[in-house]
Amino acid sequence: MLEIRGAAGRVATQLLITVLVAPFVFPLWSMLQGSLAGDGLGNYSSVLGLPQLPAFFRNSLLIAVCTVVLVYASTMLASFALAKLPFVGKEVLFYVLLLALTMPSAALTVPLFITVQRLGLLDSFVAVILPLTALAIPLNVLLARGFIAALPDELFEAARLDGCGTLRTFWHLVLPLIRPISAVVVVWTFVGAWNEYLLPLLFLQSPTNQTITQLPQFFSTQYGSDQTKIIAGAVIITLPTVIVYLALQKLFERGLTAGAIK
Amino acid sequence: MKTVALTRHRHEQSTLTQHRAGRAAKGSAPHGPRRNNVAGYLYVAPAVLVVVGIVYFAIVYTLRISVLDWDGLSPDPVAVGLDNYVRLVEDAVFWRSLGHMAMFALAVLVQMALGLGFAILLHSGVRAKTLYKVLLFLPVVLAPAVMAPVFRQIFDADGQLNTMLRAVGLDALAHPWLADPSTALYALITINVWQWTGFSFVLYYAGLTQVDASLIEAARIDGAGNWRVISSLLIPLTRGTTVTLAILGVIGTIKTFDIPYLVTGGGPARSTEVLATYLYQQGITDFHVGYGAALTVVLMIMSLVLTVSQVRRFKLGSEA
Repeated sequence: MLEIRGAAGRVATQLLITVLVAPFVFPLWSMLQGSLAGDGLGNYSSVLGLPQLPAFFRNSLLIAVCTVVLVYASTMLASFALAKLPFVGKEVLFYVLLLALTMPSAALTVPLFITVQRLGLLDSFVAVILPLTALAIPLNVLLARGFIAALPDELFEAARLDGCGTLRTFWHLVLPLIRPISAVVVVWTFVGAWNEYLLPLLFLQSPTNQTITQLPQFFSTQYGSDQTKIIAGAVIITLPTVIVYLALQKLFERGLTAGAIK
Repeated sequence: MKTVALTRHRHEQSTLTQHRAGRAAKGSAPHGPRRNNVAGYLYVAPAVLVVVGIVYFAIVYTLRISVLDWDGLSPDPVAVGLDNYVRLVEDAVFWRSLGHMAMFALAVLVQMALGLGFAILLHSGVRAKTLYKVLLFLPVVLAPAVMAPVFRQIFDADGQLNTMLRAVGLDALAHPWLADPSTALYALITINVWQWTGFSFVLYYAGLTQVDASLIEAARIDGAGNWRVISSLLIPLTRGTTVTLAILGVIGTIKTFDIPYLVTGGGPARSTEVLATYLYQQGITDFHVGYGAALTVVLMIMSLVLTVSQVRRFKLGSEA
């Protein structure tokens, strides 16, 4: 886009972007450096040696997978109906779903905390999974409905003439055709659930039921003021996310653009 | 990007007209999806049940609790009418937390400017593009909660930021960033900019891919320099992305919780309190459930206003 003249200009541009990106790398570099201070790699073996560690990952994984499954199923079923099935009140139902489009999880803390307590659901994963699902549905319906609506009606007409019921149409026609948007829904719902901090903080109180976002505080109680181990812990928690992102880089970016366009 | 959405929508429009025509022509096709298809309700039911059961329930219940003086436990809460709201209007901490959120929202402009700058530079024949893209975007996918201890360490009086400042002879600038009420908020805003610039960058980068190269070429022939191309072409042509990012940035602001809660706990001296951390403290930590609910109502209203603006934009955008 910019006109950059000569080799000197190109080197200068390269230098400029490197200098500008450096502050963004600085926290990651500090993180690695901090995690190796004191006992060096010993920090890592100490954290990895914690018997409670696998449970945090397992809980996060379980919550994220359940949320993804629930969001995916309910989003796609609803989006299909809202895009292609004629029924009375469909616009209203669409707006009913959209109401929660920008609702932050913080807005649910007070009412849900009391309700969850009364229902005796404190410390159960359902108390985290269902609110996460409810908050993720609106944006995903907005995306998927638009995508399905853009599929040619002739396809659906043909399926109907071949005697396909709506369920078979959904299963054999819609699900294969919406793969691009499905990937986006799955990846970003997973990241959202995996990174969620507030809802697990509220509802999951026994250490065996907590998630990876609560690990830094767990480490604080384990290691007191030994920051190096806490930071080493942060590196260990972050690593899987980094690996998954690097592996699916294109998908992450496509999801963002798809989500932001409309 | 915009063109994709537009064609998509036009298609939707034309199929809709066909759809209506078809319905009129065939009238009463038995069991066909042309009529009121009752199955539709079943398909929508799971999503509607979850959203209504949780979000609508939460809204109604919050309104109900917000007129009580209640600790969340006692069996007979006292109805106090609008007292909680009166208290809110007179509460300096509440207003300060809104002010802090406004600062977070303003900083979105910084993120956007940086994002656009990176996008333009990386569209200008820089080597190792993917490396820069990955490094910029990585913060977007990292959990703020997990990065919090890292940032506490960086901004500490003996942290890496001060070490670096001293190393380059800027000792005078070294500062206990998080312990000083006059700098703590800016430190948190910096974390936010660090986290979200990659997001602005990716959207601008995608937006710029759509810019017609011949436009830029024509401008160059007319003698436009780089600054002219940026100000008269690239900035106006990415206006849609700019508006999207501004709205998403404000939405992000009302969601801010993890970083202030974990890095500074809203302090020192409430200098980094935002609505979400304040209502958490009131409603959950201090058992002032009624007052916490009144604060929540404000957050909910903000969210609803933003939702309406988003949905209207979505509709306007697709009718254009």
